[in-house]
Amino acid sequence: MARYTLNLLCGALVLLILVPVDVVAQNHDHAAMGHDMGGMAAGDSVTWRMPPMDMSMPMMPGMHGMNPSAPAYLPLTPQEAMALPDARPRELVTMADGDTLHLHAMMVKRKIGDRHFAMFGYNGQIPGPLIRAPQGSKVYVHFENHIDQATTVHWHGLRLDNRFDGVPGVTQAPVEQHASFMYELKFPDEGLYWYHPHIREDIQQDLGLYGNMLVDPSREDALPRVNREEVFVLDDLLVDGSGPLPYGQDAPTHALMGRFGNLMLVNGVPDYRMSVKKGEVVRFFLTNVANARTFNVTFGNAKIKVIASDVSRFEREQWVDSVPIAPAERYIVDVRFKKPGDVAIANTIQAINHFRGEFYPHVDTLAIVSVADEPVSTDLSDEYLALRTNADVVEDIESFRSSFDRPVDYEIELTLKHQNLPLPIVAMMEIDTLYVPPMEWNDAMPMMNWLSTGNEVTWVLRDVRSGRENMDINWTFQKGDVAKIRIFNTPDSFHPMNHPIHVHGQRYLVLSIDGVPTQNLVWKDTAIVPVGSTMDILVDMSNPGEWMMHCHIAEHLQAGMMLSFTVEEEGTAGSP
Amino acid sequence: MTATSILLSVVLTLSMSLANGASTSAPGLEVSGDHANACVVASLPGPEYYRIDLVPTRRLVGSASVNGYGDVYFASSPFGVALTSTGHYAYDLKVEVSGLRERSGKEYVLWVTSPSLDEIHRIGPLVDGRLSTRVEMNKYLVVLTLEDAGVTSNKWQGPVVMRGMSRSGLMHTMAGHGPFESEPCAQYGYR
Ligand SMILES: [Cu+2]
Repeated sequence: MARYTLNLLCGALVLLILVPVDVVAQNHDHAAMGHDMGGMAAGDSVTWRMPPMDMSMPMMPGMHGMNPSAPAYLPLTPQEAMALPDARPRELVTMADGDTLHLHAMMVKRKIGDRHFAMFGYNGQIPGPLIRAPQGSKVYVHFENHIDQATTVHWHGLRLDNRFDGVPGVTQAPVEQHASFMYELKFPDEGLYWYHPHIREDIQQDLGLYGNMLVDPSREDALPRVNREEVFVLDDLLVDGSGPLPYGQDAPTHALMGRFGNLMLVNGVPDYRMSVKKGEVVRFFLTNVANARTFNVTFGNAKIKVIASDVSRFEREQWVDSVPIAPAERYIVDVRFKKPGDVAIANTIQAINHFRGEFYPHVDTLAIVSVADEPVSTDLSDEYLALRTNADVVEDIESFRSSFDRPVDYEIELTLKHQNLPLPIVAMMEIDTLYVPPMEWNDAMPMMNWLSTGNEVTWVLRDVRSGRENMDINWTFQKGDVAKIRIFNTPDSFHPMNHPIHVHGQRYLVLSIDGVPTQNLVWKDTAIVPVGSTMDILVDMSNPGEWMMHCHIAEHLQAGMMLSFTVEEEGTAGSP
Repeated sequence: MTATSILLSVVLTLSMSLANGASTSAPGLEVSGDHANACVVASLPGPEYYRIDLVPTRRLVGSASVNGYGDVYFASSPFGVALTSTGHYAYDLKVEVSGLRERSGKEYVLWVTSPSLDEIHRIGPLVDGRLSTRVEMNKYLVVLTLEDAGVTSNKWQGPVVMRGMSRSGLMHTMAGHGPFESEPCAQYGYR
């Protein structure tokens, strides 16, 4: 491709130097830009602030003074926010079969630094209530919407009835401000799930609308014993001295790389601490609710035993040194704290400095575990040190093994299109694309990323055989089908990036990456497709209805990266 | 030729070969040799994008026409993407070289190094032109040298027969091979 050549590279550099300042005008006429978000009215009074910059990276020529092409939005001004109730920590709600939970999406205020800001919370909590229920149960959630825009609740990972999946315009109408909706949740699978809006996740989820569901396995011995359980919601928030950076009112900002935050949060707070006794074995239930960031979670130098992921336990428990977790993924891991003292739970990455052309080690502390001198009363070391094989999981997966070699049913390519992007961004991306990493660990181009909105960028899931894209795709399956889908994340696009691909309402196995078979299988609903890689997944089409498959980077989803498929009931007449 | 211009040509050759095979003839640029079409990005399993072309140094008589490459796969991991606790990718590198002439008392030894050569790992002698290893570095060089058989040392003694660069080696564009040209290419083993 021409873009890999010296000619273009030099040309791009020249462009960068020559392009005049203020290519894109700042004076958006807010009144003229239609508002398609119901009651969201605050945008008119909100002005753009530049994203916080790492001063070691020079400002790209030609970008000074530019603003995103969408009007700026924040829920309320800090002054207005003062009247809101304070966000509260998450509360546990233990539910039995048939129980009902009243869940309200609300405006709350939250203190960051020494100022208060308007955010969102389910029942005023960030994260929202932790729903704990037994496997096989069914519960009801009476949901009311009291934020300033329409919303829905998606119950991520649950194989529930299609009409409760929370996809606006497909499974339900948006829940308008002060309206309500009754959800019915089914928990056929054990493990850790989460709920979040399926409208403008880039805003609503980012501002605090997320919560977990913990489904206790019916088998009593499904999981090894531990001394303590901790549910960790990992997140990041993009803030400056004045609070959260404004969002795009009618289109997401950060459409290229997604909105990476600069404030790391565990369970909604930047300074999460917990105390344990010496020798305690702690089970961490990890969920990544960040818009775009994949974390590489370390627990000091402790060995980590990985037990389960999205929709099941692994075939075999396994020792790992860190837990890479993409947006929407979950992992359940056990860690033993052997020595007294503080242990930092951290995001430990090799970040990229594009200008210098180098990787550099970067560590963000997510939480601190204080390990006391006093030893734990029940020593579970032996159990912790043993690695178990989950015969029931192996057996379940075994029944799908005859489909592992089936032909590929559908093949999709991950790519993007762009229009009307400022010229300096286009020029810079051409250079940057000389090398793209398999994964993006940091926002190394905060200005360019911020300036690209859903108005300029369309992320694409392209059906290779039909040429159809995104919601023009609707595959049809029969209940009970097992489908092999090949996902190729082409490095040959304007801005290649890793994508966590989520399938609604079903479970799938990652069979292989780049033709290398997965050694230790687990049922997933979301998995990372690195740049340049081909991932084959095997989907158990067990749940009838019209479902979505999409990238879980909030800005990519909002910029179009979603397709649909229908699973027909057995015996239903064939489709066109 | 200066070290920089050689590296530039290597970068270009690599870039061209890594690009979609259908369109290697970019306007105004001549690419010669087998590497221009060495690999094709196709929608089949296999991480072609990260494949490392091994380029003969021609420092060894009769080695100009050898061919080789390193295929780069994620190491097995429960997370799909394999990472170390410091955030480096963990790769399985599978090297395959053909056309090497047998030389008595000598063996072809594979090395993986950091770009600044401050970290050098001796992987071992090729067996039937092949060798695989785990690499836990984001940016690295692959070096094949001719050594006395059975002699192990922590730095090569013999001549470099082939060398290649991980795809991430291309990430030195803006400050490196633009107008600034400040990269220490000689240290990379390109002379
Ligand atoms: Cu994406």
